Amino acid sequence: MENKTVNSKFSGASQYILDDELASIVNVSMALEMPLLLKGEPGTGKTMLAHAIAESLKMPLIVLNVKSSMKLVDALYQYDTLTRLNDSRFGDSSRDVSKIEDYIKMGKIGQAFTSDIRTVLLIDEIDKADTDFQDDMLDVLDQMEFDIIEIDRTIKSKYRPVIVITSNAKKDLSDPFLGRCNFHHIAFPDPEMMRKIVMVHFPDIDSNLMETAMSTFFELRKIEAIEKKPATRELINWIRALKTDPDFNPKMMGKGDIPFLGILFKKSQDYKKAVNFSSHRNSN
Amino acid sequence: MFIDFFYQLKNVGIPVSPTSFLTLQKALNMGLINSIDEFYTSARAILIKSERYFDVYDQAFAHRFQGVELPEYGGLMLDEVTRALLEEWLEDPASLAAALDMEESDLINLTPEELIEYFKKRLNDQKGRHKGGRTWIGTGGTSPVGHSGYHPEGMRVGGVSRNKSAVKVAMERRYKDYSRRGPLTQDMMGEALKRLRNMIPVGPKDTVNIDETIYQTMKNGGEIEIVFSRRLKDRLKVILAIDNGGWSMDTYISVVQTLFDYARDQFKDLKTYFFHNTVYDFLWEDPSRINKPMRVEDFFSFDPQTRLIMVGDASMAPYELMAADGSIHVEERSGKPSIEQLKFLAQIFPHCVWMNPVSSQIWHHTPTISTIGQIFPMFELSLDGLEGAVNHLMTK
Repeated sequence: MENKTVNSKFSGASQYILDDELASIVNVSMALEMPLLLKGEPGTGKTMLAHAIAESLKMPLIVLNVKSSMKLVDALYQYDTLTRLNDSRFGDSSRDVSKIEDYIKMGKIGQAFTSDIRTVLLIDEIDKADTDFQDDMLDVLDQMEFDIIEIDRTIKSKYRPVIVITSNAKKDLSDPFLGRCNFHHIAFPDPEMMRKIVMVHFPDIDSNLMETAMSTFFELRKIEAIEKKPATRELINWIRALKTDPDFNPKMMGKGDIPFLGILFKKSQDYKKAVNFSSHRNSN
Repeated sequence: MFIDFFYQLKNVGIPVSPTSFLTLQKALNMGLINSIDEFYTSARAILIKSERYFDVYDQAFAHRFQGVELPEYGGLMLDEVTRALLEEWLEDPASLAAALDMEESDLINLTPEELIEYFKKRLNDQKGRHKGGRTWIGTGGTSPVGHSGYHPEGMRVGGVSRNKSAVKVAMERRYKDYSRRGPLTQDMMGEALKRLRNMIPVGPKDTVNIDETIYQTMKNGGEIEIVFSRRLKDRLKVILAIDNGGWSMDTYISVVQTLFDYARDQFKDLKTYFFHNTVYDFLWEDPSRINKPMRVEDFFSFDPQTRLIMVGDASMAPYELMAADGSIHVEERSGKPSIEQLKFLAQIFPHCVWMNPVSSQIWHHTPTISTIGQIFPMFELSLDGLEGAVNHLMTK
């Protein structure tokens, strides 16, 4: 039942800037029917990529946000015992209490498997879950089927979803897990790439603003011992703030005070360091 | 066909598995890879599973494809490959079977010799079929297909156009920062230490376990049965003992500082002590090692489940470790040699490690390092070492 032919290729989407290296990795992974594992600093667009693939291939996107307490079965299906209990006591719904099927709800992986068209399945931040979850999940994704024990039925995938897995962790995932994925690490965009990303979000941006914002941003990223460096997301929000502030003059920024540092630095320690840096720069 | 490339990657220390190599062959067979640029990225995505190896991969790739003619594939590299193949066969027959396109049951029935024969045959098949492919690789790493022209369905890539060949890109070594040999940052340390956690249920049963309640209620035929359980709490106790004396540790101050900072944030029940070179009668709570001494014997009163992390270069003159009056500080010479005190600590805290900032490659130059290494499991204060140490500390 699997869709063996890859008749469409991925070529980037309207809100996402794709480098060709990543594009060919996405295409190869799709053709090999292997999950693609993406690592990289937060804010480098790991999650955005899945959205972009879905948009460009015109497939629905199903997002599984992994949580630390999550069990694999939560991602597959849910047996809604509470509703069944309620129905059995107060029996005023159209559901048939004696039919357990009526109380099985598909989880995100289950939805991707039972979908009538091919989907993009994004498994976001896999590193939050424990190793058992990861390995078990890969088993399911490998075999493209799972059992619902309550009703003794096997759910087989109609179409193999395009699977994108993201991880923030600096540490490695387990070997069996890695063995079954293709891997890519998204590096932090260089200034040229970043300019393009900003252009996508603010097509009419003033070139003065762009240049000062960019140079200040990359300067700020160089401050040492920052725990959470500002990333793409922060830059976009920061520029948005600068644009809406009527008092802001791009020429002023080169000379010292950097406005809205709180948008870029979210940890109080980092923020203090950035403010320090900003005022130090001012005195020079 | 690129069997020696595979071998070369293994040789430079990248863990590449035969299965992933066969996946790459499959990708080549499916015609997915049509230029050296694509080969560079696809092979990396398929073979290399951590950005820490990207730099090494780049180097190996540049070395391999920088205009060098491919040497004829001979039998001489095969030993290493077959060994890896057999290992994988034992560990994970299912995925190897899938990679070789055969049933798992058939695979298990093969003798090792037959398996190797089969593997060779497969490679030779591909070698035959890919004669054309070999030449483009051999022409010195320029792609005949041309940059960006390699998506016949009209795939258009927004973003950078890369006017360099894959070899040039590889030679830039863009991933140097991620190399395993890079310095240990607080971030990396945090990730490694995160697993040092010991969640255990404590206190009264005062939390409703909803899942269990529902399950038991259903089992009861709808009669409500509320199940309580205990809360999970991180009860891990950690003692960090740092060698902060002497010029020999000066070089490592920043990395130890990072470890210390992180540990202070991370562990609720952390005690830090200081010593100079090695442990004699006391450990100190204050870094200056004057005001708050703590007798080594008194550590007996601590929970034996406490994780003890010693940090030091373990480098000193042998007599400082062995002699009864080895301490360079007179007031500390109680008669017990330091080595006895260390053994005592290792005995009362079975979960202990010694983190050594000295590169493990030169440990054998210093006799006291191996002596102490026999008492405490010793790990290098690097990302790999830290992961090893955490694993060791968490084994029951």
